[in-house]
Amino acid sequence: MPIYAPTLPPRAALNAGQPAWLVLARFDVRRILRQKLGRFFGFVFVFILAIRMGVLYVNHLLDTKAQLASVKDLAKEFLAQGASFQADCLPPWLLTVLWFQVAVVGGGLVARDTLHRVRPLMYAHPLRPLDYLGAKGLVAAGLPFLIQLPFVLLPWTASLLIAGLHGPIWPTAPLRLIPAALLISALMGAVTLGASSMASTPRAGFGWVLGIVLGSAALGGMVAGILGNPAWLAFSPGVLVTAWPELLCGVQAPKLGWVPALLGTGGHIAFWLWISARRTRPSEAVI
Amino acid sequence: MISFQQLEVRYGATVALKGISLGLEEGVVGLLGPNGSGKSTLLKTLLGLLDPAAGSGEVLGIPLGGPEAARLRARIGYMPEYDALVEDVSAYEQVAFWGELSGLSQEQARDRAHEVLYFVGLDEARYRNASGYSTGMRQRVKLAQALVHSPELIFLDEPTNGLDPYGRKRMLDLILKVRAELGTSVILATHLLEDVERCADQLVILDRGEIKAHGRMDALRRMLARRFEMRFLDPLKPEQEADLARIGQVLESRNGLYDVELQESDPRAPFAWAQEAGAVLVQLTPRHDRLDEVLIRALHGNGAH
Repeated sequence: MPIYAPTLPPRAALNAGQPAWLVLARFDVRRILRQKLGRFFGFVFVFILAIRMGVLYVNHLLDTKAQLASVKDLAKEFLAQGASFQADCLPPWLLTVLWFQVAVVGGGLVARDTLHRVRPLMYAHPLRPLDYLGAKGLVAAGLPFLIQLPFVLLPWTASLLIAGLHGPIWPTAPLRLIPAALLISALMGAVTLGASSMASTPRAGFGWVLGIVLGSAALGGMVAGILGNPAWLAFSPGVLVTAWPELLCGVQAPKLGWVPALLGTGGHIAFWLWISARRTRPSEAVI
Repeated sequence: MISFQQLEVRYGATVALKGISLGLEEGVVGLLGPNGSGKSTLLKTLLGLLDPAAGSGEVLGIPLGGPEAARLRARIGYMPEYDALVEDVSAYEQVAFWGELSGLSQEQARDRAHEVLYFVGLDEARYRNASGYSTGMRQRVKLAQALVHSPELIFLDEPTNGLDPYGRKRMLDLILKVRAELGTSVILATHLLEDVERCADQLVILDRGEIKAHGRMDALRRMLARRFEMRFLDPLKPEQEADLARIGQVLESRNGLYDVELQESDPRAPFAWAQEAGAVLVQLTPRHDRLDEVLIRALHGNGAH
């Protein structure tokens, strides 16, 4: 026989807590941390970061050690220090791994609520659809941004410490790379949110993200090839995320121009947010 | 507590609620109806999740479909019919989360989660992930999340679904306890008449988007107490049958057996009438426990009060 409390004491006043979107975002972050995905992705990201720091140090040695002068010209081919070297703080292969990470985590953000049928219950509380979307968007975009941040700040800090203002990383690099990281995160967040809202399970959400990224890349590549116009590559979120560090760092021959990159990024963010908003309306909630 | 007039809710061309009007007082309201009768639509509308196409109403003094829907939901608790638990999170964590979502501070929500889970009888199990819970425990967690912010009104959708008789009794006890000790009003949507009989003091019967019957349970019980089965030694003559209307309404007659709803619940009236009408009454059986017939009559026509 269970022991029941004699009764429930009176509770404190409402409206003393945090905004609903923040409560939901915190709850989602706790659930993500519990998945322990860092055991795999953490290792991969640290490995990538370690390589990057190694390259930076070798670069510095080549610049400062006379003994290495004989290999300097050869090394310059590999370790250029111009705009491309700055943009390479967020290299395409890092962004590819990041797509997998956001697909695993972001793909389940909305889909898990759909699977467990929690969303109608959320809307039965003082949570507006905008709060729901805001919380999910914050987590979906915040995660890739936080992962990118060390790739921008650590090499920059190391460069400043090793070689001062004339190091291989420009002192102004964060001013270019952090906006790039923000745009990349917003795009990744919007795509994963849209994909997750269309999925009924987290696994399906993962599949949707990869399907959108790979499918649009294939389609954009085909159209660009047929029409002979690389601007059509902006159809692919995968290409767009690699374009922004190049554009903002001023690489001479970027994959995409400013106009297709802006149109592609803006269009994707708007479209996927619209899909998410449609798919997470209270009227979609089946009680 | 709740009132609405000419409330109409549509899903595209489909009319889910057909201009219904009703006023409900504080207490436990049993909302009965078959699948597709509009119970869920009514709950969604009362929660402010659906905007009415026509009509007006208010819940706890707050107008339906208005900008204050979020404020209203802070004063309402909702226990859904289906499993709405986050499987990879403990009962304690999720109840605290629902509390915070309703406006409690982080610290208050944690304290409250412990109190309310203890209140519903979920003791040490509250630290385990919900994926390992039995059906009864899951139902109690859902009730706890509906109560965590001490709402003035809770909507319980099929709270005894899937429970064994012992679990069902415990759940109904809890509902009565919520009403008696916390003073919380309850809307109990169910298809189980026994649950309504046990807990409710008001009844609403809904079918195909229309209210078929509503009223207080004590009035309904009084009405049921006036129903008798009467058998006479010889079949009544047509004029005697017509005269029987003096003491009550003949609801059904077959093979000399008359189902009569008397004007008063006094069983002496049929004997007095038989003596006056020259009939011999050989059987008078009270029909007290036939709430199901009220439901059937309400759903299949044949009059309702």
